Amino acid sequence: MSIFTVGRLCLKLAGRDAGRKCIVVEELDSNYVLIDGNVRRRKTNVNHLEPLAEVLDIKKNLSHEAVKELFQSHNWPVWDHNSKQPAEKPKKHKKVKGQSGKSGKKDQSAKKEKSAAPKAKKEKSKKAEDSEETA
Amino acid sequence: MPEGKFRSRTFRRIHVRTPGGKSVLHYRRRKPSKPTCAGCGRVLAGVPQELPHDLKKIAKSSRRPERPYGGVLCTVCSRQLWKDKTRIEPTEVKA
Repeated sequence: MSIFTVGRLCLKLAGRDAGRKCIVVEELDSNYVLIDGNVRRRKTNVNHLEPLAEVLDIKKNLSHEAVKELFQSHNWPVWDHNSKQPAEKPKKHKKVKGQSGKSGKKDQSAKKEKSAAPKAKKEKSKKAEDSEETA
Repeated sequence: MPEGKFRSRTFRRIHVRTPGGKSVLHYRRRKPSKPTCAGCGRVLAGVPQELPHDLKKIAKSSRRPERPYGGVLCTVCSRQLWKDKTRIEPTEVKA
């Protein structure tokens, strides 16, 4: 009979959760168990667990919320994943035909300036011609 | 004659073929020694053997294993450490 029965308190030896307390929630196989507690709820090889003396009286396949309450009642730290809420995507504003944006205004003003420049030149040249004639 | 600093074997030598077809000698810094376990001295897995400025370019998560004592102790020693902390009569870690 395996020492890793349901409710057995263990210490995780391998991986990112090494050194943290966990509890066996379900026996999956002779080699694998489902653990929960101060670790991510996951299937684990029993070689990666160090059994502790305590065995808690729990039902098989206990939910994470129930395990969380159990650990909190014993003042043990519990792993809880606080998932970040994704930020709202910036809304894309479609350009409507006929409406000119900022860039459109700039273009128009630039065009006006360009069109005004040759007119001014023409006027200057005309004035010069007139002055020559009068002289 | 090469520069004085290149006359010792501090730098490793690399033969580089130039676009013109010549073979020229380049000098590069030697890589540091392989990282070893603080407990048993075994070469650590999952820790790149690079110069500090190259290590900076790598993400922190890929610089060492993610478990506690990752990049300091090997798996055997770290497991033994956790076992020693929990068991009543701790066994000696192999030096």
